[in-house]
Amino acid sequence: MFIDPITGNFYGYIPFGDIVFYLTDFSVIAFLVALFFTLVVYLTKPEKQLEAQINDFDKFNIVSLKELKIRRLMAIICGISTAFAMLTGDLFDYALFLAVIGISNIGIVSAVKKEWVLNAAYQYGIIAMISSLPLFGAAGLILAKTGTLSILELSKTAHDIFYQKIIYAVGMVGETGIAPFYAAKAEMFKAPGAPYILMIHLSSLLIIIRTAEILLSIH
Amino acid sequence: MNIVSYLFNKTVIVGFIIGILSLYAISRQKSDLHMLLLSDLVECAMLVVIAAVGTDLAEALILPGLVVGMAELLAVSEVLVLRNEIKYKKKSNEKSKLLEEFIAKETPPNINIKFGKMEVLYSSPKFVAFILVVYGALLTGFTGGAVMASGLLFYLLSLGATGNGISLNRLKNIWESISGFSGIMWAFWILFGFIGFFLYPQKYLYFLLIAGCALALKVGSKLGLIGNILK
Repeated sequence: MFIDPITGNFYGYIPFGDIVFYLTDFSVIAFLVALFFTLVVYLTKPEKQLEAQINDFDKFNIVSLKELKIRRLMAIICGISTAFAMLTGDLFDYALFLAVIGISNIGIVSAVKKEWVLNAAYQYGIIAMISSLPLFGAAGLILAKTGTLSILELSKTAHDIFYQKIIYAVGMVGETGIAPFYAAKAEMFKAPGAPYILMIHLSSLLIIIRTAEILLSIH
Repeated sequence: MNIVSYLFNKTVIVGFIIGILSLYAISRQKSDLHMLLLSDLVECAMLVVIAAVGTDLAEALILPGLVVGMAELLAVSEVLVLRNEIKYKKKSNEKSKLLEEFIAKETPPNINIKFGKMEVLYSSPKFVAFILVVYGALLTGFTGGAVMASGLLFYLLSLGATGNGISLNRLKNIWESISGFSGIMWAFWILFGFIGFFLYPQKYLYFLLIAGCALALKVGSKLGLIGNILK
């Protein structure tokens, strides 16, 4: 009953083995946005980057092809898993997608061979590892309480899973929600080849919206 | 009530206690490697919480959870190894120069300390040179000339070191005057000293004094010329 005003029209689900994808207005639009930006990341050439400087000539950053390739791969993995996290209808799969996005975020950040950047990547990795406890633990607790992990089933009837939802939200925040803060902490905007970190921001934004949608749908 | 339902609450509580204790340990920890290992412990607590469900589905969920945890552990440990490599490479590069603290480093462009304007560099060479010249005059003879010359030499060298070199015209002037002075003193030594010994042997003491002083001034001025050249 709550699912209609939040996510729009329900178009049906894709019976893809255990993993049930379902299509609503929200999930389809978010899926297409994520795929579009993944294509942009694939086609763009951010290796030539002009850094504006005060009281000086602008600096021209050149990124080596090797560094560029691994970051592009990580950005594309991040975009694809973001896109399918929009569609999935399973709480545990969603958590796994979040973990994959977290790993690819670490990869994007840590491809820059600078000490301060690697320091931020390490700290973000520690936070992501710690927050897998509330994320997966909340999925396990919801499974124990309700007997299912499907968002479609959970949204049909009422369950008393308020605290589990809070723990799930905490896990989401730690896993991918804080990634832009660590990108900002590493001053990745100044580091060579910075444009790929826009994928971190996009995935973080979409994941936060999608998590809010899930947590409002299940009840 | 079966054993899984009986143990569910206790297992979940144990898992969360492990997680919270590990978080406390991480907050107290200084070593990066120990932080990494403790956060792996948190992931094991996550597996405990999932395993508390105790159904077939939970068994199927443990494996992807474990794989994701291992992948994150590997990624973060690689980041840690790379960071430490870069850190220690930088440090070893800094230490690789032999006797680095004795090699003159180029001054940073923003710091304009004018070492040549320090007061002690102007006052002390004059003082030291004055003492040496007076002491050389008291010694007289060849040794006195050498001491006096070292005073002059020191003064001229220190003038060059402070960046107050003398211009070429003035240098020529000084050179000519000192060599002229040296020549006159040579004449004093030979004429009034040496010849005086033979002409007036009774008054040898005055001529000895004249010859000694003239010799001191002559040698002093000659070596002062060397100071001019070295400057």
